[in-house]
Amino acid sequence: MAWPDVRKTLRRGAYLASEFYHAPYRGAVARAKRDEDDLFMLLVFSEMMGIPNPATYYTLELQPILLERFHTWHTRMGMEHSPLDDFRCC
Amino acid sequence: MHRLLDHRIIFVGGKGGVGKTTTAGALALMAADAGRTTLLVSTDPAHSLGDVFDTRVGSTETALSPHLTGLEIDPEGEAARHIDTVKASMKSLVAPKMYDAIDRQLELARHSPGTMEAALLERMADLMTDAKRRFDLLIFDTAPSGHTIRLLSLPEMMAAWSDGMLGYRDRSRKLGNVLTALSRDQAAEDEFGMLGHAADAPDDSRDGRIQDMLLARRRKFHRARALLTDPTVTAFLLVITAERLPILESKKTLDLLRRFDVPVLGMIVNRLLPANAEGAFLQERRSQEHQYRDEIDRTFSDLPRVYLELLPHDVHGIATLREIGEALATQLAQADAPG
Repeated sequence: MAWPDVRKTLRRGAYLASEFYHAPYRGAVARAKRDEDDLFMLLVFSEMMGIPNPATYYTLELQPILLERFHTWHTRMGMEHSPLDDFRCC
Repeated sequence: MHRLLDHRIIFVGGKGGVGKTTTAGALALMAADAGRTTLLVSTDPAHSLGDVFDTRVGSTETALSPHLTGLEIDPEGEAARHIDTVKASMKSLVAPKMYDAIDRQLELARHSPGTMEAALLERMADLMTDAKRRFDLLIFDTAPSGHTIRLLSLPEMMAAWSDGMLGYRDRSRKLGNVLTALSRDQAAEDEFGMLGHAADAPDDSRDGRIQDMLLARRRKFHRARALLTDPTVTAFLLVITAERLPILESKKTLDLLRRFDVPVLGMIVNRLLPANAEGAFLQERRSQEHQYRDEIDRTFSDLPRVYLELLPHDVHGIATLREIGEALATQLAQADAPG
C-alpha cells in the first residue's frame, strides 16, 4: 500500500472512531439545548398562550428575535401553522 | 430630619388625598429656593402637579421656578413608544402580510395588566440614574400607597425575572459549548462523512442579542434597586392626616416599605386643625383629632414626625407653596428626636 493511502486510512479510522464515541452524545446534547431554547422561547411568548407574565413589557422586545425560533418550534411540534389565532408567523 | 434635603432622591407618599402633591411641591420649592436644581416628578396617573403650581406641566420637563423643573410622567405614552419600537423591529423581520397580525398582537400587549406600571417604572429608573447629571435633587410625588408599593417592589421582582431568564440562556450556552466540543471535524467530515449536517446550527448573533438585552435590563433593575434602598441617597417621606383610614393604611405602607428595605425617613402629619380655630364644631373635631394624634404618636413612635396645620385657603400657586415650605422648614429642623 502506498504511503499516502496508509495515512488516509488512518485518518478515516480516527474520524470513524471519534464519530462512534461522539455522535450519540451530540444528539443528546443538541436535544437538551434545543429543549432549553424552546423553554426560553415559550417563556418569552407565554402571555400569548394565556399564561400571565409579569414581565410582558420586557419580554416584548425579545419577541422579534425569537419569531423564527417560534416558527421552527411549531413546525417541529407537528403544527403546520402557528397554533395561536392572533399570532401567525407563517 | 433636617438632613432631608441632603438626599438625592426623595419619595413623597401616602394615602390618596392627604396632601402628597402639596408637600412634595413645597419641599421642591424649598430646595430650589435654596439654590439646588430640583426635578419634581409626578408618578400618579391622575396628575395634579400642574394644578398645585397653577400651571400646565406635561410629560416634558417644564420650568416651574428658577431652579425647579416639573414633570408628569405619562405611562401610556411611554408604553406606546416602547411598543412602537418593538413593532418596528418585528416588522423588519417578517413578511408584510404579517403586519396586521403584529399590530393586533402588540395592541393587546399595550393594554395587558402591568404594562403601564412597567413603563412608569422604566421612566423612573431612567430618571433616578440619569437625573444625577442634571439635577441636585429628584423628588417623586407618588401615587396613592398601594400603587407605589407595587412600583417599588417591581425592581426586585424584575431583577429576579431577568436573573432567571439569563439562567436559561446560560444553560443553553453551556450546552452549546459542549456541542461545539463534540462537533465533527469539518475537514474529515467533507472527506469521509456519510451523514447529513447537524440540524440546529447555533445562531451566535441572535443569542448574543438576547443576552445583551437581558443583561441591560438586569443592570437597570439592580441599579434602580440599589439607589432605592440606599439611605444616603433615597429618603421616603410618608404623608398622613389625623384620621382613621390614613393611619391604618400608612401602617401597612410602612411595613411594606421596610420589607423592601426602602429607607423611610419620617412622617408628615398634615392638615391639623389650627390651635386658634374657634367654635363648638371645631372643638369637637379637635378632640377627635387629638385621639388620632395620640394614635399616630403611638403607632409611628419610631419615625421622626413633622406636624403641619390646615391652611385657611386652598393651595394654589407658588406663593402658598412657599408659605407651607416655611412652616415645613421650621418643623423639619425640630423633628429630629424620634419618640
